[in-house]
Amino acid sequence: MRSHIPNKTMFISTLKRYCGIILYRTIAGIKSEARQNYLGYLWFLLEPLLSTAVLYIAFTQVTGKAGPQYVAFLILGMISWQWFESSCMLGSTAIKVKYGVLSQFNLPKYIFPMVSIMVNTWKFLCVFVVILIAAAIMGYPPNRHFVYLPLLLAFQLLLIVGVTLPLSVGATLMNDLLTVVSSIFRLLFFMSGIFFDASVVPENLKSWFYANPMAVFIESYRMVVIHDQPPYMPRLMEAAAISLGFLVLGVALHMYYDKKILKLTNV
Amino acid sequence: MSDFLMTPLISLKNVGLCYRPLRTIFSRTKKEIWALRGLNLQIYEGEKLGVIGRNGCGKSTLMRILAGIYGIDEGKVRFSRPNVHVELLSLGVGFEGNLTGAENAVLNGMLMGKSRAHMLERLDRIKTFSGLGEFFDYPVYTYSSGMNLRLGFSVAMETDPDVLLIDEVLGVGDEAFMAKSETAIREKFTSDRTVVMISHDAAVIKRMCQRAVWLENGCIVAEGDPGKVAEQYHHALAGGQ
Repeated sequence: MRSHIPNKTMFISTLKRYCGIILYRTIAGIKSEARQNYLGYLWFLLEPLLSTAVLYIAFTQVTGKAGPQYVAFLILGMISWQWFESSCMLGSTAIKVKYGVLSQFNLPKYIFPMVSIMVNTWKFLCVFVVILIAAAIMGYPPNRHFVYLPLLLAFQLLLIVGVTLPLSVGATLMNDLLTVVSSIFRLLFFMSGIFFDASVVPENLKSWFYANPMAVFIESYRMVVIHDQPPYMPRLMEAAAISLGFLVLGVALHMYYDKKILKLTNV
Repeated sequence: MSDFLMTPLISLKNVGLCYRPLRTIFSRTKKEIWALRGLNLQIYEGEKLGVIGRNGCGKSTLMRILAGIYGIDEGKVRFSRPNVHVELLSLGVGFEGNLTGAENAVLNGMLMGKSRAHMLERLDRIKTFSGLGEFFDYPVYTYSSGMNLRLGFSVAMETDPDVLLIDEVLGVGDEAFMAKSETAIREKFTSDRTVVMISHDAAVIKRMCQRAVWLENGCIVAEGDPGKVAEQYHHALAGGQ
């Protein structure tokens, strides 16, 4: 390929440029999304509240459970799952969606998946802050274990980026993957402990249950916010390691396919 | 040929590029489509090179290789110095409908390799050149296709790459803007910037370029003086018909 190897300063300035593109595309994406609706930015709060309300009504009717603890329990699970799923699904299709742009400009292919992730992360953070305020009103005020929250969020973001990067390459090369993955996500949605507590999982299945990083993260958010306890660190580290594994795979795939992928797809 | 033309800025040696379209288990489309094969080409610093050829001869693929968008499957692409900024002139690609002209101008310039600060500094000039007036601060979805092109063109003129790749675009927009944009493009041709321009219209190549290559079935069949290459190209077209 190109014979020149960029020197260190060049590498850093290029990386800075790409980070700039991701940052300003993210801001543009947020603005753009807000301008599509009459209620604009309010939807960043209304949408997850709406879907949680639907689930709350459905589940309290089925299980007979109610009360602030169950609301907080359910909402924490739901919003962290939604952050994960919508980022991964949107990020996976981002290369295909931006095919026209990518075939005109010399850009690394991870840029648009990253933008999708960052837009979703922004939306999640808005909701998360409101949920924490609501939790405080419902009787779960901020406690000293809140110091773990930035770490939890960072780990979950690592998982999201880690899962999205390989998927974005895979889904561009083989559309079928998206159908398979959305089924897997549906399955994980019911198995990540969004509606139930990890304590109801039979002992012999526990190691399988915790092999899913999302189950670990959801439980950890609840430990901190509802139970005023630190997350269980060994499990959290395991989840982070799995996330890192995905990330390494994603980076390798992107490096290998960066200049090839557009020639191998049919958009 | 004068001295400054003697160093090839970019040299392509035996270059081949192949598309492998996705297949389904039930279809038997072609496995490999070689868009370019065995292509040898030198592009010299400061020259204005024209590439002619019919549709599907590999012109656009060649541009994407030069711009670094596609990796090649065979051969070598060499740059005489590192960090040569090559940019494909593309108008209005990547605009976000819900964002204003000004916002899109900055974002688009960033895609073309410029910093946000660079684009912000030039925003007034882009606004003036585009002649969009108050529409510059309106969302792009309110634009007509001509206005879209005007904005795209004005942005592209403010990003000065070392090598400018032009794909069939000369003047855009209505009559007034057409004249203005053609003048701006001509300025790029008179400066010492390297320009590679592709067209299926040999007359344009003859008028604008110092050297021409004729591309057919993914390799070069004639090279040299634009007049002569154009003549050969026309001759072949007439013969083909």
